[in-house]
Amino acid sequence: MIDHYDWAGGREAMVRFPPAQPGSDAHQVVVLPALFEEHNRTRSFTVAICRGLAALGIGAMLPDLPGQNESQTATEQATLEHWRGAVSDLVVAQSSRHPVHIASIRGGAVIDGVDGSASVWRLAPLTGRAVLRDLERTALIGNKASQAADSVAGPVVLAGNSIGAALHAGLLGDVALPTPAAPVRTVRLEGDVGAADLRLPGAPMWRHSEPGNDETLAQLIAADIAVWIARCGG
Amino acid sequence: MVATVRGVLRDVLGISETRVAAFTDATELFGALPEFDSMAVAGVLTELEDRLGILIDDDDVDGEMLATFGALTRFAAARVSG
Repeated sequence: MIDHYDWAGGREAMVRFPPAQPGSDAHQVVVLPALFEEHNRTRSFTVAICRGLAALGIGAMLPDLPGQNESQTATEQATLEHWRGAVSDLVVAQSSRHPVHIASIRGGAVIDGVDGSASVWRLAPLTGRAVLRDLERTALIGNKASQAADSVAGPVVLAGNSIGAALHAGLLGDVALPTPAAPVRTVRLEGDVGAADLRLPGAPMWRHSEPGNDETLAQLIAADIAVWIARCGG
Repeated sequence: MVATVRGVLRDVLGISETRVAAFTDATELFGALPEFDSMAVAGVLTELEDRLGILIDDDDVDGEMLATFGALTRFAAARVSG
């Protein structure tokens, strides 16, 4: 269901996945998708997770970030502050009825530390700087113009993504994952040596050349989020 | 190390377990394996970094270390021990 949410800078679209049992929307989660190229590659997968959550009785919301997808904000005008502000405003607005949990995928973790969420669940999180590095590497190896400068004045186009100077600087300076006040659970794929509370079997589809999905992994993830949210309550 | 590199190629390039199990030192990769295009190179390198806990300098990336399975494995092994 296409819905909207308001934030200080305007109004953005979001897809809402109502819980399978009507009226049982005591638990709800805002899903923050991966960023840039990884967003495209994991679109179906992210929606599969949202549907899985809805089937388990958890209402899921998948917001567009300012400057992304259908947003009226120009891509190169977006900043990390806009993104965090938008997520924060969404969480606060939705919390008036029931507690809101956050589930972030990959680079979504960069903006998942907003106040007001009852808990934070992360899939293979990475910092803004690591997100930027991936983009720069793709651009470099693709023999496109090297724009791996430490500071830039105008928008940078990296692997087809137009990134404004402020967002570029924000990502470059983002060297540690947020440490929200709410409890955090980190899930990674088997083989990833980063710190994790749980490792699930599956391939990192965010690295594939073509967009894909992994329905089995999506359902494992939805189930883990559901158990986590029930444990955190709120 | 060889198993990790095999696993990365399987997972990032979407190559079947059977095909990747048959890779030898001499198996040609970049330029020979259709799945291993320039877009995929970044994914393979970053995934190797994540799974081996290493950092790969983009300046060290060239056609030679991507040419064969043996070359890529030796490149990764050198980063782990170095």
